[in-house]
Amino acid sequence: MLKDITLGQYFPVNSSLHRLDPRTKIILLIFLIVAIFLANNPASYILVTAFTLLMIGLSGVPLKMYLRGLKPIWFVIIFTAVLNIFLTPGTKIYAWGYETPMTWEGLFLAGKMALRLVLLITASSALTYTTSPIALTDGIEKLLKPFSKLGLPTYELAMMMSIAIRFIPTLIEETEKIMKAQKARGADFENGSILRRVKALAPMLVPLFISAFRRADELAIAMESRCYQGGAVRTRLHEIRFRKQDAWAMVIFLLFFAALITLKMFF
Amino acid sequence: MAIEISNLQYIYMEGSPFEKEALKNVTLTIGDGEFVGIIGHTGSGKSTLIQHLNGLLMPTSGSIRINGEDITQKGADLKALRQKVGLVFQYPEHQLFEETVYKDIAYGPKNMGLSQEEIDERVREAMNYVGLSEKYLNRSPFELSGGQKRRVAIAGVLAMRPDVLILDEPAAGLDPAGREEILTQIRALYLSRKMTVIFVSHSMEDVARVAGRIIVMNQGSVALDGTPAQVFSQADSLRSMGLDVPQITQLIALLRRRGVAIDSGIYTIERAKATLLMLLGTKQENEEGKSC
Repeated sequence: MLKDITLGQYFPVNSSLHRLDPRTKIILLIFLIVAIFLANNPASYILVTAFTLLMIGLSGVPLKMYLRGLKPIWFVIIFTAVLNIFLTPGTKIYAWGYETPMTWEGLFLAGKMALRLVLLITASSALTYTTSPIALTDGIEKLLKPFSKLGLPTYELAMMMSIAIRFIPTLIEETEKIMKAQKARGADFENGSILRRVKALAPMLVPLFISAFRRADELAIAMESRCYQGGAVRTRLHEIRFRKQDAWAMVIFLLFFAALITLKMFF
Repeated sequence: MAIEISNLQYIYMEGSPFEKEALKNVTLTIGDGEFVGIIGHTGSGKSTLIQHLNGLLMPTSGSIRINGEDITQKGADLKALRQKVGLVFQYPEHQLFEETVYKDIAYGPKNMGLSQEEIDERVREAMNYVGLSEKYLNRSPFELSGGQKRRVAIAGVLAMRPDVLILDEPAAGLDPAGREEILTQIRALYLSRKMTVIFVSHSMEDVARVAGRIIVMNQGSVALDGTPAQVFSQADSLRSMGLDVPQITQLIALLRRRGVAIDSGIYTIERAKATLLMLLGTKQENEEGKSC
């Protein structure tokens, strides 16, 4: 069950997307998200979808992993789709005798929204699958650096983020372990009414919080005992830098973006 | 409760780059009332194996029968199984969550749907087994010491009155006195409740002291299986698996190499002490107190 959560999980293979500078990937993802929202007609949707598929191909991560990442949000996608189909005013396809008929407009809107959600999740997964959490926070820190002049504690933010990201798998593992231990004592997390299931969470959440606090405490002590100090004085083992391939990625993306704008204007 | 495992295979995270065959072709029979020690290096598959025994993990292929009933079939009553096969995880104190020791131990029996009187009786019985006095009943488990917390957690499993008790590294992280106590209590429990006990550890010394049969796991399969004397006579193959014989057995082997006539099948300090004292006694008689 918890293994299904793949958003934010690094997939260690060597592909052209993996080798890009994290900053390039972050910036391009932001613009790709903008592009997904800019798409408004069939031609532009096809282009955006094709570009996302190209990214999946270049990432070297199996399509199955992307589909798995979509699993937790299927419900949201279907729910919004159903609402859109029935609550959008327009040409009736079928009416139930109630006041909210199924409409063609609704059907199109539902399709568009669903595609948009799928593309957003897939594109974001492409970033996290191909970029290790450490590279990701390094990238974010570098990108935020100009704001440190305005008093934004970029280094501290980045550090907090990397610690949080670092502990996601640990906490998932911990949760699984605790769930197993409580199941061994007859706990039932899957059956019963909603109220019962919420109640059944206490034996899992209490130990989880306690262990999170314990880990935080241990980490703080370990950092202090190694004289940790944040800020400008720290240097890095691996500096990230722009290379030729990043320039190529930018060029390809600009071409794609230009094509999208053209499609938007002329169709 | 006889446990029959046949051709058990388990693959972690199948189809991802993290895929790992944790168990391969494990075939084992554990009889009623046995005290089995499972040892193996980190990653040898011992923890994965025991999680199959109460249905927490389902095998990729192969079958497990407990009292003749195949628990890997769809529709097997896992809740009833988990009550019969009690599993105490490593660092079980990390699973404590209730406000009082009483409530925490009562969690398992309560999930079984027992009456209040029955729960009450079982909680007291379980506390008695692990040597916790009743004055702890209403204390918060979080203010107890590490060793006490662990005993509360073990009592939480015992309160379900399992027929098979599986313990994963029950002595890990305890001080020598705490280790000693836990091991003695488990041994006493085994003798008084006549349950089947499966004891997982990487400590040769601990396993040698309590188990009547030792199963050695290596890279997902059973490498050795026999009495402690049989297993510890395979010192070389144990070493090749990153394990070793107990220190006292090593000492005995050294003595034998030096020409001391001593039984090679000694693997506990108690027996070594007795045997050595006897040997020294006879020597002294022969050589009239000549120091050695």
